[in-house]
Amino acid sequence: MLSKKIQGIVIILNAFFLAPLAQAHHSFAVHFVADNTIFVSGTVDSFRFSNPHGMLTFSVVDASGQVAQWRAETNSPNVLKRRGWTKESLKAGDNITVEGFPARDGTSYMRISKVVFADGHELIGQARTAPPAEKD
Amino acid sequence: MSKLSTQILLLLVLVLPGWLLAQTPMLDSFWAVQFDPGVQAKELLDKLPAGAIFINDAGAGELGEGQYSGLVLSAKAQEQVKNYDFAEEFTREFTCTQPSVAFYMQAPFPMEIYQDSKLLVMRMEYYDMVRVIFLDGRQHPPADAPHTKNGHSIGHWEGDELVVDTTHIAAATFMNNGFSHSDNLHLSERFKLSADGQVLLATQVSEDPEVFQGMAARLMAWRRVANEYIYPYECDASFGE
Repeated sequence: MLSKKIQGIVIILNAFFLAPLAQAHHSFAVHFVADNTIFVSGTVDSFRFSNPHGMLTFSVVDASGQVAQWRAETNSPNVLKRRGWTKESLKAGDNITVEGFPARDGTSYMRISKVVFADGHELIGQARTAPPAEKD
Repeated sequence: MSKLSTQILLLLVLVLPGWLLAQTPMLDSFWAVQFDPGVQAKELLDKLPAGAIFINDAGAGELGEGQYSGLVLSAKAQEQVKNYDFAEEFTREFTCTQPSVAFYMQAPFPMEIYQDSKLLVMRMEYYDMVRVIFLDGRQHPPADAPHTKNGHSIGHWEGDELVVDTTHIAAATFMNNGFSHSDNLHLSERFKLSADGQVLLATQVSEDPEVFQGMAARLMAWRRVANEYIYPYECDASFGE
């Protein structure tokens, strides 16, 4: 349980850093559909946490047993570090559901807005706001 | 010169710089982007040149493909955006290409400012960029001097506003949507603290007749945050592999 003082600090930090931040090297609006949400469940293969974007790869098994690999980029790790993410936040073998913005080109690629783990805990990625309030 | 005059002159030389700095708004701080500049920005907005086209992509905003906020692009720029390949943004070569001062000033990342009477340094978290603004009265270098992503910035105080003029900016993205400025971009900026000193506001006016007509303007705002610091960006090109 967070103390009231620490809760207060978290609230203040959120006011500064949890706002819709995402910009890095490529345009979000150009490459992703801001007003659509997809949910993709699978098992983590790898996670790299460096700027301009972190990169999560995970395997998804469809109803027929076929395995497809998805890639999901984060917004800037600098933004996410201030929200508590680390390079250890996702590990190979973790069972997850990734919520995010689909790539405009229809490939198995997305921008992460949230990762939900099997035990229910969550990592918050890019803030979801009304378009066009997100960048890169 | 009498001994008394010499002493007075010496005193002025020693004391005046410190006194002047004490009268100058102090921008030293960690600054986090503030997405809503608020009504306090009106004073700066009112000073924008008539006819400047406002680009609403600062902070949380963004312009998509083919959106230029009403700017009239030159024939050269139209050809450039027509041929722009967005797929190249996912290559190793592109990944760590630094933005220029025209774009990184409005990026939603924090910065630190270090200020002296003759110099002001802006240390940006975005791409680890460091910008120097000379306040010592120097002029810009000759037109054919090297251009960089930070450009060459000279500034002076007009009352409580810092006025900055920047040239020698190397060509780079202007809106992050395939539209780039040229090597001849000219930036004029005004920085001003809010009445309570907790918000830093800035307008940026861009002129680049090589790629667009008239003037473009942006508004930025940052909130002073204590006990924070810039994180290293350390761009990793392997994203593009």
